[in-house]
Amino acid sequence: MGSVGLALRWEHRISSVADEGGRRVESSESAAGRGRASNSLPDDAALAAACLAGDLRAYERLYQLHGAQMRNLARNLLGARADAEDAVQETFLKIQRGIASFRGQSSFVTWTFRILVNTCYDARRKQMRRKEQANDDSEHALPRPELRAPGAHPTLRMALERALAQLTRQQRDVFLLYEVEGFHHAEIAAMLEISETASKNALFQAKKNLRGMLEAPRSAEAGAQ
Amino acid sequence: MMAGCKDRERIFLDGSAEEWTALEQHAAACPACAGELRGWKALSAAAAEMRDYREDPALWVKIENSLREQEQSRTAWRGLREKLGLWGEGALVWRTALAGALVVALAFAGAYVVFHRGAPDAGQSGLLKNSALADVERTEREYMKAIDKLAMDAKPQLDSPASPLMASYKEKLMVLDSAIDELREQAGGNPSNAHLRYQLLAMYQEKQQTLREILETKP
Repeated sequence: MGSVGLALRWEHRISSVADEGGRRVESSESAAGRGRASNSLPDDAALAAACLAGDLRAYERLYQLHGAQMRNLARNLLGARADAEDAVQETFLKIQRGIASFRGQSSFVTWTFRILVNTCYDARRKQMRRKEQANDDSEHALPRPELRAPGAHPTLRMALERALAQLTRQQRDVFLLYEVEGFHHAEIAAMLEISETASKNALFQAKKNLRGMLEAPRSAEAGAQ
Repeated sequence: MMAGCKDRERIFLDGSAEEWTALEQHAAACPACAGELRGWKALSAAAAEMRDYREDPALWVKIENSLREQEQSRTAWRGLREKLGLWGEGALVWRTALAGALVVALAFAGAYVVFHRGAPDAGQSGLLKNSALADVERTEREYMKAIDKLAMDAKPQLDSPASPLMASYKEKLMVLDSAIDELREQAGGNPSNAHLRYQLLAMYQEKQQTLREILETKP
């Protein structure tokens, strides 16, 4: 796997844009700040029950709690904002259609994100088919990222997105779910229907590969100093 | 708890909070581990660049409308099912009767098809295919005979070509004969391939035309 062309010392540059990063990095599941994606179980069950009862306010609550995160994940998986919004909308419709089949083996939120990830896979397949039909070259088959939040570091983000596109699907999904969205390995395992160990391995490999792609070769670094 | 360089990868993969602390303590005195640890943490920090959790109330409006529409159509469908009594009291008996009626209807339809189809015609389509193939091969043989006659007539001119034009005709015929042999070999392995037969016919026609041109050329 080759370098994606980020010649600058990215480790140094990111320290100025994300000061919370150091706190979230450890793999210890007990680390503070990982709870964003998780929901307390009674709330989760109550939300599921209200959705099952057909209460639209419950769906609105679900959107308020996780909509932005769902949109962000979909956008990272699909590239385009419009595709991501379609995927989130489709996910809500699928939840409404399938809520009766939710048995509570995983949390409601985990179940919701599993539907979202699968919806994104489907959307991605459709994207690929459309692009194949349009005879686009394979380079364009990868999701094309759009500009993000003001204040985001565009070069770093683009380099990371380009490097992520070179990972295997599982490595990319696990990295996005763990590092970007803050899910636990147990939740990711349930979402992607893999084991927790596989999730940990995928994250480890993803980070190793990303480092290989993003970091300048040691000899170049030494020469620059 | 103590951690060393050899524990680093394992801790990166699946280390507990205590092990991470121990690794950080070790890294304070180990530049190699300090660099690795910094690189590892930097990736997590970089991941923050991929977060954009801005609210989008407009999207919720779209979702809400589509949820309402879906719910309305589902309600309408449920109402229809209830009116038909498909899921009402005694539905099991009703559905069993319906299934039974369908099985009987299918059995009658199957029997009708079997008894009104006439004499068994197994292999007829295969025979038709074979007879069509035999026709093609017979015509092909006759066509080849006619072309061979033309070739015999043109032989003296071709054996000792008197002009560069005749020499090039001779060469062209050699190429055509070689292509014909190749196609016939392929057709022999797959006699019912219509595409090969068409190609072969085109070659014969080209050979016939070439021979005619040779015979029309004055020596």
